[in-house]
Amino acid sequence: MAKPKFTNQELMAICGARLVPDGAVVLAGTGLPVLACMLAQKLHAPHAKIVYEGGNIDTHNKELPLSVSDPRLMYKASAVADLRQSLGELLQGGYIDIGFLGGAQIDRYGNLNSTAIGNYKKPKVRLVGSGGANDIASLAMNTFIITKHEKRKFHKCDYITSPGHLKGGDSRLKAGLRGEGPQFIITDLCVMDFHPRSKRARVVSLHPGVTKKDVLKNMNWRPIMPRKIPETKAPTAKELRILRKEVDPKGEYLG
Amino acid sequence: MAQQITLQEAVKLVPNMSTIFIGGFAHVRACMAFSREMIRQKKHDMYFVSSGPTVHVDLLAAGKVISKMEVAYSGIETIGPAPNVRRRIEEGDLEVEDYTNLTMTMRLYGGAIGVPFMPTKSMLGSDLEKKSLMKRLEEKMAVVECPFTGEAVGLVPSINPDVGVIQVQRVDTDGNVQIDDALASDVDGLKASDMKIVLAEEIVSTDVIRKDPKKTVVPGLMVDFIVEVPHGAWPTAMYNFYDYDQDHIEMYAEMCRTEEGWEKYKKEWVLPSEKEILKKLGEKRLKQLKARKTLGY
Repeated sequence: MAKPKFTNQELMAICGARLVPDGAVVLAGTGLPVLACMLAQKLHAPHAKIVYEGGNIDTHNKELPLSVSDPRLMYKASAVADLRQSLGELLQGGYIDIGFLGGAQIDRYGNLNSTAIGNYKKPKVRLVGSGGANDIASLAMNTFIITKHEKRKFHKCDYITSPGHLKGGDSRLKAGLRGEGPQFIITDLCVMDFHPRSKRARVVSLHPGVTKKDVLKNMNWRPIMPRKIPETKAPTAKELRILRKEVDPKGEYLG
Repeated sequence: MAQQITLQEAVKLVPNMSTIFIGGFAHVRACMAFSREMIRQKKHDMYFVSSGPTVHVDLLAAGKVISKMEVAYSGIETIGPAPNVRRRIEEGDLEVEDYTNLTMTMRLYGGAIGVPFMPTKSMLGSDLEKKSLMKRLEEKMAVVECPFTGEAVGLVPSINPDVGVIQVQRVDTDGNVQIDDALASDVDGLKASDMKIVLAEEIVSTDVIRKDPKKTVVPGLMVDFIVEVPHGAWPTAMYNFYDYDQDHIEMYAEMCRTEEGWEKYKKEWVLPSEKEILKKLGEKRLKQLKARKTLGY
């Protein structure tokens, strides 16, 4: 049987979904994180629950949301609250197992910048700011970073908006932050985790057809590269079918 | 008891240089009509506070209504950085102090319940704690040792805006407010403000609200002014009334990539009266956006 064809976006969503355990409570942003969570729910994690920061809790939306307080998230939600409850009671209170994050710059410790490129006081490019990202990075039990693998993105942060492992080692714990910090970086070339002691990013699998050289060529810092790195399991026909037919049938994100 | 006034009168009540909370979060319930009227009345030098505002903060930045802001976010979801906010900041016409969605909400809640600061475990160790643009760092956030457990905890100052404005589904003649969807930080922002203005899709008889008082999110005795503004959140959404107009939001973002484009947008979609704007949008489009009874969008 011929191997199914897939896009990088699809592979990223599928890699994200595989890492969501059944029963996890996930705080999702729009875009790939939503696809990953909804796909996980339809595959191996039917008891995973999704929370959106605007206040929609345990959602069962029929259509994909374009925003974190989208009216589509009202459909069969178990509760509808406010930011104090979503980010205060659920997140800071310790109920969120996984938070998904992204950013314009990501460093070797999983710190993220979504505030400004260049000098913070006189930015070359002003970005959106934290929103809830710093809260999620500071307070979720674990975070997963999902981002395109580009040289300009894998760059020292001009500004740390969302704390990862800060300066590595136990610096995150010392700063008074909650949770274990970033666990994985999912890109369109590979998946990385973090070295247990130094907390530096480490490549754990290369996507089908991708070499170590491809990964290094597209970043400004060097991750830990074990001698032998397995290939990421290619998407199965079932994963692709559910992603395309049930999660994003209109191709709103994947189109 | 709340006094019913017009949109024009409501905006006239806001002096220039006020600190103002204007409701709306990520594609829903943005006070768009109010923000357009602020531009029509040439309001300026406002100090804007909010958690995750959306298209309205970009409009207010474009129209040079606001010159300073303390926010967590200034973007348009699915599109990226708010184009006018970005340009105003990069050109030095708008100053910003960065917080997070949780900490801005807690600062407003602190203002609402009358305490000077609120504790948080957010922001620690990041540049949000270590860098400040508008104030001395110690005025932005303090990191202290908890007097009971010894752990590190951040303290953020409460806010009491001069004026708070939100756009909601319904309010009654006594000023009792109902919101049908996720509240974001709209209720905390309004309650924190000294003068409270509620804009609603419809003003209903108080019997409607008093039949189900559990649904009241702001009691009327706190509210100063009410205004009936149908379609006041367009092009963002009002659950149970109308969906967001993503085509228009995308057109807006595209036009506002340049100052000339913004000027053109302003002439076409901001300066005319609300009635003219809705007429220009057309019956057909309004019908397409109208919420389906079963789904609410």
